[in-house]
Amino acid sequence: MELLFEMSEIMRMVGPLLEGCQVTVEIFAITLVLAIPLGLFLAMGRISTIKPLSKAVELYNWVMRGTPLMLQLLFVYFALPTFGVRLSDVSAALLAFVLNYAAYFAEIFRAGIQSIPKGQYEAAKSLGFTYAETMRHIIVPQMIKRVLPPVGNETITLVKDTSLVYVLAMNDLLRAARTIVQREFDMTPFFIAAVFYLAMTFVVTRVFSYLECRYAKYEE
Amino acid sequence: MPNMKSKKGAGIMSAPMIKIEKLKKSFGDLVVLKSIDLELNKGEVVAVIGPSGGGKSTFLRCLNRLETVDSGSIAVEGNYLVRDGVYAEDKQAKEICAKMGMCFQQFNLFPHMTVLQNLMAAPKVVKHIPESTIKPIALELLSKVGLADKANAYPNQLSGGQQQRVAIARALAMNPDIMLFDEPTSSLDPELTGEVLKTMRDLAEDNMTMIVVTHEMGFAKEVATKVIFMADGVVQEHGTPQQIFDNPHNERLQSFLQSILK
Repeated sequence: MELLFEMSEIMRMVGPLLEGCQVTVEIFAITLVLAIPLGLFLAMGRISTIKPLSKAVELYNWVMRGTPLMLQLLFVYFALPTFGVRLSDVSAALLAFVLNYAAYFAEIFRAGIQSIPKGQYEAAKSLGFTYAETMRHIIVPQMIKRVLPPVGNETITLVKDTSLVYVLAMNDLLRAARTIVQREFDMTPFFIAAVFYLAMTFVVTRVFSYLECRYAKYEE
Repeated sequence: MPNMKSKKGAGIMSAPMIKIEKLKKSFGDLVVLKSIDLELNKGEVVAVIGPSGGGKSTFLRCLNRLETVDSGSIAVEGNYLVRDGVYAEDKQAKEICAKMGMCFQQFNLFPHMTVLQNLMAAPKVVKHIPESTIKPIALELLSKVGLADKANAYPNQLSGGQQQRVAIARALAMNPDIMLFDEPTSSLDPELTGEVLKTMRDLAEDNMTMIVVTHEMGFAKEVATKVIFMADGVVQEHGTPQQIFDNPHNERLQSFLQSILK
């Protein structure tokens, strides 16, 4: 009986797929590093008592979460040039991903911040903390523990969402696999790509388990 | 002849520790404080007693700006936090509030910090005191409340009584002149209230000025120098513990005492 997957065949395909992985990881990592701080920033604006600011962020989050990420990618890459902003495919992809994911993170952080009891603010205030000091030293550190599970979810989704960059003709992991499939009528690259995605999400899962363990040292 | 010297000159020595005049506070249509007056000198301990919803906690929370008053005055050591309903500018208000430490019914310790970190957080962040300076002070405060061995524990590892003693030590770490207690033993098992009351008694013996909203009549009787009975947003009766408990005049106070002594 013929082997389902020929080993030498697989090795030949792994090269281009690894190159695809590089694009995928790059989009993933840069998006995560930029979208989390931006999301925290947006969350602060969202809970601000300055009404116009809060409303503006609410509108932003609605637009970003209310339209497809693929549409946003296409808009940044193809429509922005008509307004005089011309970006490379990587920059366009990163811009769309960061803006989109920041909105999701913002809502997760907002919910996390608002779940911290009022007594924490009062205790901090009675000790002389300003609002900014309270946020930085008391509220946000406690929020992190509470938002780890949803942020983990969102991060795993991001690993897979990176495959959307194919619409900008970028050679990410999935597109690299598809190119080989279409050229050679061999489905093996799909399986290899799936294994790569699983490996990446495995790493993400482990990192978040580790973080949850670390934050488990205190309970509320 | 009345002293006509400027407040600044006379302030430090002769001004009462805290002086509250005609304090009024409403939540919407609900008038919570109708007109509260109180004057305390250094080292006095006042117990505020009365039925729930009578404005006791609101009164206490107005003193350190957790609630804003509608009108009236609050002065600490001669410096006005609010004068006839007008608040001091933020910087000065912060300085005045820094003279007051507060303990809450629910303790409100910071759960993500160890006991020691809870004590050091405010001195480090607010007063910019280096850790090397504040750490021995914090440890000493912890042994003062009998919890030196819990310095590295997290709040959830402590009993309610221990948590409240940490909260007291945390407030003391900011070196306040006045301590405010908002029903400090109300969420504790009876067997745990004793240790908290003992810590508060020690504090009173150290000449700390204290305002204590409490249901512990024993504490009010033994430790307080002054007792205030508050109901319907009004101080119905005030006096020494003997006057309040042994010879109450106000009808509301009489029925209140009867109901709790049963």
